[in-house]
Amino acid sequence: MEFSILLPAFAAGIVVLLSHVPLGREVLTRGIIFIDLAIAQFAGLGLIAANYFGFEAHGLEIQFFALLGALLGAILLSVTERFLADYQEAGIGILFVLAATASLLLIANNPHGGEQLQNLLVGQILWVEWVQLIPAMIIGLIILFMSISYSNLFKTKWFYLLFAVAITQSVQLVGVYLVFATLIIPALASLKLNKEKQIFFPIAFGIASYAIGLIMSSVFDLPSGAVIVWVMALLSLAWMCNPLKKQTKDSS
Amino acid sequence: MNNIFKGSISKFLLATILVASNSSTFAAINVLACEPEWAALAKQLGGNHVVVNSATTALQDPHHIQARPRLISKARRADMLICSGAELEIGWLPILLKKSGNAKIQSQAIGHIMTADHVELLGKLEKVSRSMGDVHAAGNPHVHLDPRRMVLIADLVTQRLAQIDPDNSESYRNNNQSFKSDMTAMLERMKATVESLRNKRWVVHHNNWIYLNDWLGLQQIATLEPKPGVPPTTKHLAKLVSSLNENPVRAIAYGSYQPKKAANWLGKKTNTSVLALQYTVIDWEKPNAIVSWYESLITSLANALVP
Repeated sequence: MEFSILLPAFAAGIVVLLSHVPLGREVLTRGIIFIDLAIAQFAGLGLIAANYFGFEAHGLEIQFFALLGALLGAILLSVTERFLADYQEAGIGILFVLAATASLLLIANNPHGGEQLQNLLVGQILWVEWVQLIPAMIIGLIILFMSISYSNLFKTKWFYLLFAVAITQSVQLVGVYLVFATLIIPALASLKLNKEKQIFFPIAFGIASYAIGLIMSSVFDLPSGAVIVWVMALLSLAWMCNPLKKQTKDSS
Repeated sequence: MNNIFKGSISKFLLATILVASNSSTFAAINVLACEPEWAALAKQLGGNHVVVNSATTALQDPHHIQARPRLISKARRADMLICSGAELEIGWLPILLKKSGNAKIQSQAIGHIMTADHVELLGKLEKVSRSMGDVHAAGNPHVHLDPRRMVLIADLVTQRLAQIDPDNSESYRNNNQSFKSDMTAMLERMKATVESLRNKRWVVHHNNWIYLNDWLGLQQIATLEPKPGVPPTTKHLAKLVSSLNENPVRAIAYGSYQPKKAANWLGKKTNTSVLALQYTVIDWEKPNAIVSWYESLITSLANALVP
């Protein structure tokens, strides 16, 4: 096995976990599971809209317009949260389909642009290059630090903005499915742990999932992202049904 | 418990290493093909002196692929890369080449063959705008559908194989000779069938058959997609229904990796037979895969288009 192929992908997994574990915990608490899909859709919409109005985005401009779209999504989400309150999940769903269909309408006569633009924003973990990890690493460390030192910030509207920045990055690194899984599964598996373990246990759990998933995708020659998602889900299932864990809980 | 766990991990790792090392066979030349037709050609010409892998299968759309670890390691090991080029693989080939870090297959290297660069292309465009759909400025990349272009490409691949592996150059030239004579013999045998297809009218799903039209003299009246890459729209289909009812065609065809819904719908509306065509070689590892594929392509076309 050529570890040099898997290494950048593994590093990308760790970087994504840094921000997604704290964000995922808050997503679970708020009960807004599909928010990442909505934000990713808005990032794509930002790029497609820029293209529609005549900007041929390259390099950093792509990031700029994607982030603009994602931030617009974040602002709209904080607005729906205010007006829909307990029905925020419905608000997320509606914003998701609106963003998705707005993209469809903008690219109705423009398949070349549309499809390629959307591909720009959905990465595959194996294509990750080392330089891409630097901005993601910085964002990840900032979010991890804030979740520990300024955890109150996560309870405010600012959460949506942090979330938008992190998701726009991570979707480009590892794709939508892995982002969703990384956000939800480790956080869910660690729900019953006491508070101080709730950050580092899920990160370790996630790192193990990425490592095993990447090795298995290499052994069985399967698409890496999909294998990691399954490994993560099965590992968390095993963890939650683990009889050893119950014993320690009873004895404590 | 702990020991068992450790044991199973080391067994797993050992198995991993064994499987991984097993896949690197010690053969003279490693060829990575982007599409099965080029894998078939490499196998045909290289015979036992080459190990061939294909990045996509006949049932996959070569515009998109899912990245797998072994694809990258195959690219790292490759001595030769054969793809269609003309932007067909633009969504993934550049990053695969970059990730491979393999000088032998980078553009300008002897081991880098984009077949569309070496034959005359149809459908070249002076000016490409996004409103035209998913078109390739360089020309239509689906050149493998014309046997006349295929033999020119075979000459080129033979020459490059001989350059990379001079010791076996004699064998490559012989394989190329017998490939070409098999092709000529088949075309001779099928001459009447090929002739019978001239000027037959048909409708296709996506505009990727123009080299076949050029070779056989088929008249492609329309495509189901209003513009390349745009899924059929109701307005476009309605227009097709009325024009086909006035001026019938023999068949509506779609390629093996394309959706069949629109073709079936139009076929029912206009009482036209619907034809699923092998867009490329399926069993590329079989001997004479390319020649037999052309033969079955002509046969199924004749069955559908010739009364």
